[in-house]
Amino acid sequence: MASPDISIPSLILCFLLLAVPLVISYRVKLNVVGKTINSVSRMTVQLFLVGVFLTFIFELNNRVLNLAWLLGMVTVASYTTIRNVDLKMEKLFLPVILSFTAANLSVLLYFNEFVLDLGNLLEARYLIPIGGMILGNSLSGNVVGIGEFYEDIRRNENRYLYNLSLGASRYEALLPYIRKSLRSALRPTLANIATAGLVFLPGMMTGQILGGASPLLAIKYQISIMITIYVSTTLSTTLSILTATQATFDEFGLVRKEIYKENKEK
Amino acid sequence: MQEEIIKYENIGKFFGSKKVISDFSIRILRGGKILLRGKSGTGKSTLFKMLLGFEKPSEGLLYYRGKPVNSQVAWEIRKEVSYVSQDTDLGQGSVKDLLDEIFTYLPNREKRSPEKLNTLMKEFELEKDTLGKNFENLSGGEKQRIGILIALMLGRDIFLLDEATSALDSELKKRVVDHFLKHEDWTLFVISHDKEWERDEVEIVEIGKDEFS
Repeated sequence: MASPDISIPSLILCFLLLAVPLVISYRVKLNVVGKTINSVSRMTVQLFLVGVFLTFIFELNNRVLNLAWLLGMVTVASYTTIRNVDLKMEKLFLPVILSFTAANLSVLLYFNEFVLDLGNLLEARYLIPIGGMILGNSLSGNVVGIGEFYEDIRRNENRYLYNLSLGASRYEALLPYIRKSLRSALRPTLANIATAGLVFLPGMMTGQILGGASPLLAIKYQISIMITIYVSTTLSTTLSILTATQATFDEFGLVRKEIYKENKEK
Repeated sequence: MQEEIIKYENIGKFFGSKKVISDFSIRILRGGKILLRGKSGTGKSTLFKMLLGFEKPSEGLLYYRGKPVNSQVAWEIRKEVSYVSQDTDLGQGSVKDLLDEIFTYLPNREKRSPEKLNTLMKEFELEKDTLGKNFENLSGGEKQRIGILIALMLGRDIFLLDEATSALDSELKKRVVDHFLKHEDWTLFVISHDKEWERDEVEIVEIGKDEFS
């Protein structure tokens, strides 16, 4: 049993639901009317274009094109991560994109080869949507992890310098900050894993059930994907922070102040 | 002839357009004991930070054991010199765990000594249960004593002490000063307003006396 089609008039009926938040925003003076219209319009256009492209890509199913599409997604995810952490792009983009590519691609290919046992590892129908899920979660983890790491270093600079003065190598002095930021980055994913099925039915599982799959098959997919997401988020955040420190600390072990967007320094 | 440990040669430092340190020179030989005094804002702490590679001089040259301080020498200094800052900040966690972490650093691994820790804690009147307390909940005086204790535990013989005794009572200040001064071969470079440091064997150097900018 496949999902029923949503006709254009039905979609318009769905858009009518937006009247509720818009009226609330207007009455309570939330000032999010413009933002709501802007966000919903962007989402609609983006998803419409993605729908068209994906139809084309799925039909073509060319390995090189599939991989290129995935690398495009990695680039956007890396760019968005740095945009969201108040750090400047130039020093961070290369380490972040390399970490995203290495971590997510390796985990994704492992998943396709050993869990799904696909004949074609780069099969568009699996590579792109699963890659998207993994990347989306990595993005959230990296925004929290990288953001907190650099903010903590800036806030507690004297503590970091004191540890260097005691003979710590850069890595040894950074370790407490790496630990703390990784814990924060992984906390939401771990909480999601722990409450899966209790608080909400995860998106992938919901999608599969709506698509006509049996709940038992859907949970097997969901379990595998949650593990994969946890692994790729851990790996990409760790790699991002470790490789970014190479580019963002100088030969004295000091953080390069110019990486911060607004300079709060003296 | 005594080995030259530290040499500041015509050091100047600007923060923005403001000149904080002007033409500062000093030579400290092994075993030398220097008390650096001056009003706040005269860049005393900055001079220490330059030696540790945390600040760069805008003018002049800085040497450590005859070598100009570059990044490589700064990493060497951090392994050979004990620095106690005004506010020792080890972060959150029990004092014991935080101390343990310091002794996981490569140059300090052989220096772990529970006996020495006990002796020093007694000498500086730190209760045994201090080790179990959260560092952030300690009083200013306790934090300072932990800073001094770490510096002494590391078994180094060159010290940069930046207002290391300011929060201690007079009796403890005297005890700390006595401890440092009883080692003739130790090289001490001290910033302090405490009278306890004014002893015959300590040379007093004033900084920024005629500076108004």
